[in-house]
Amino acid sequence: MDQTTANAPQPTAAPARQPQPILFTGRGSEYFGIWIVNLLLTIVTLGIYSSWAKVRRLQYFYRHTELAGSTFDFHGRPLRMFYGRLIALGMLLIYSYSVRLHSLVTLLVLALLALVMPWLLRNSLRFRLYNTSWRGTRFHFRGTVAGAYRVFLLNGFLTMITLYIMAPFMHQRLKSYQHDNSWFGRTRCSFHAGAGRFYLVYLLVLAAIIGFFVVLSMAGVFNAFASINAAQHGGGRVDPSAIFRTMLITYGVAILFGVSIGPAFHALINNLVWNNTRIGEHRLECRMSPVKLAWITLTNLLLLVPTIGLFTPWAAVRLAKYQLESVRLLPASDLQEFVDAEPESPGAVGEEAATAFDFDISL
Amino acid sequence: MLQAQYVDGRSTRVRTVSLSVSGTDLVITADDLQRAEPLAGVVFDEQLGNAPRRVRLADGAFCEVRDLDGLRALMASARLRDGWVDRAQRHLPWVLMSVVGCVALVAAGYRWGLPWGARMLAQRLPPAISAMLSRQTLKALDGGMLLPSQLDGARQASLRSQFQALRLPDGEPIRWTLLFRRSPALGANAFTLPDGTIVLLDDLVAQLDNDQQVMAVLAHELGHAQGRHGMQLLLRSSAVGAFLAFYLGDFSQLLAAAPAALAQARYSQSLEWQADEYGSAVMRANGMSPALLADALRLLSKSHHDAAGVSYLTSHPPTAERMRRLEELAQLRPVQPSH
Repeated sequence: MDQTTANAPQPTAAPARQPQPILFTGRGSEYFGIWIVNLLLTIVTLGIYSSWAKVRRLQYFYRHTELAGSTFDFHGRPLRMFYGRLIALGMLLIYSYSVRLHSLVTLLVLALLALVMPWLLRNSLRFRLYNTSWRGTRFHFRGTVAGAYRVFLLNGFLTMITLYIMAPFMHQRLKSYQHDNSWFGRTRCSFHAGAGRFYLVYLLVLAAIIGFFVVLSMAGVFNAFASINAAQHGGGRVDPSAIFRTMLITYGVAILFGVSIGPAFHALINNLVWNNTRIGEHRLECRMSPVKLAWITLTNLLLLVPTIGLFTPWAAVRLAKYQLESVRLLPASDLQEFVDAEPESPGAVGEEAATAFDFDISL
Repeated sequence: MLQAQYVDGRSTRVRTVSLSVSGTDLVITADDLQRAEPLAGVVFDEQLGNAPRRVRLADGAFCEVRDLDGLRALMASARLRDGWVDRAQRHLPWVLMSVVGCVALVAAGYRWGLPWGARMLAQRLPPAISAMLSRQTLKALDGGMLLPSQLDGARQASLRSQFQALRLPDGEPIRWTLLFRRSPALGANAFTLPDGTIVLLDDLVAQLDNDQQVMAVLAHELGHAQGRHGMQLLLRSSAVGAFLAFYLGDFSQLLAAAPAALAQARYSQSLEWQADEYGSAVMRANGMSPALLADALRLLSKSHHDAAGVSYLTSHPPTAERMRRLEELAQLRPVQPSH
């Protein structure tokens, strides 16, 4: 915080103009009670209660996320989430049933799903943002249906036929569609990262993966020669337990790398996306360390296994805390004035109610 | 008097107010504000952890309260109570009981509920579904793992007619199809598809001494067909997969796959016992001794040691145990030809 303050043109800026860190105040032990009671109810109701559980989970996390002294909130109604889940489940069933058919029906169903998906995803985005608020003002998503078809269907198709060479470009278009069309009350958000920077992140991660496997296989070959050499000098045979140990270490390292690379990529992309997103004239800053995020994910995983998953609430809180607290809002002007400037007309806040087809379709 | 942050729902302006209860009204007061709302129309949001709690008014305005104890006292004075789920979430004994409840329910569901549900559903699913699944499975296997049988037509016809001549323990004729295939990958094997179609592999016929033993193995497979075991396994693994995907959520697909595979291995054992028992009943109904299947197993286990590929036995319970049980079955009840 000190650094940014020093860079600011006016050192005597009002407190509201200083960088505003996001704080996450949730605690694993607290969330455990909510999680386990809702899990039990979900099991007893054969999954139906999971929508109610999800609303509580989102509310717990949103309400413990604080910016400039105010918390976020989630307003989604469980029944809406439930309908969304039914639709998602129905589509999943239709999909998995039809891909087994291997006939004309398969193509027909897949085409139909591809046609409906962009529209559903867009409505899902709208539902999620509309039901998110900070200090009582709701967010909105105003992406058009045509935009959704361009982003999800056309770009998805282009990515596929270019063998994923266009994946970073598509990722950029997706983020741009999401962030350029997001609003906080009457303030529009904007997105400023070009596709080139997405390619940079993708190439960096790709290089890390290739580099890792080159080093690993070289180490393996070296190790094999070393043990054969040692065996020849010792006059005996190659020690099978030594080979086994080497293999174990090699697989172990490969698995550790495999688990870590996802979060590392996630951190780099998040930094890119949030550092280039503005809310009106206010900028965001995201400093997520790929190493730290990979470490958190890895240790979470290692603690989840022996606790048969009971560590889940702590894992979720730990992950959310690190991710959220690496973001800061850099106000370009007095934040209080900005917030107060939100008009008092009801149209800006609550009028644009979600339509009948808006729901969260994520399972 | 309880302090709260008041937002009118139209602007982001935050005002510090104090809350109190007067009769059946919630009273909100500030320097420039005085509101009395009937408590019946006021929603007290759940207490989630230590997050500020919201008191929502009918017109979209709300108060954010940080003093959770103070709010509870205010609600108590108005004779309002939190919902039972809300209370359970922060009551330690209920939380602990939920842990026990979850573990017990999952264990019981896995041990009893899953097999029962799969059996019930497998019996009630329309035959068209299992027929479709079987067609696809066969189609997928025929391209790679399965090759056309090299048994000559006369041999196939002879085995098929012997198979079709078998009678089920209730005297019914066989209503399932027998297919011949060869598979270097699967070796000496026979298996049953979800719709009861039985696939007999050449190596199995070659490794057994006589047709009687082949019929014994087919009798065992009839047990799988009759019990719709293929469909049951499919339903069980789908259910386990779905549950794990839900429980482990986004943490790892890797973790989700492993237990599902283990569950499969564990489950096939109990179904194999059932098939052995049904197979014995079929054999007795046809004047054969269940010991024939034990003989077949003995021959297969002998060749198992030098066979490279997967054999009939690897997917089955310990052979010695099965042979012992089959021989017991052969001795306990003398063979009674039904015709």
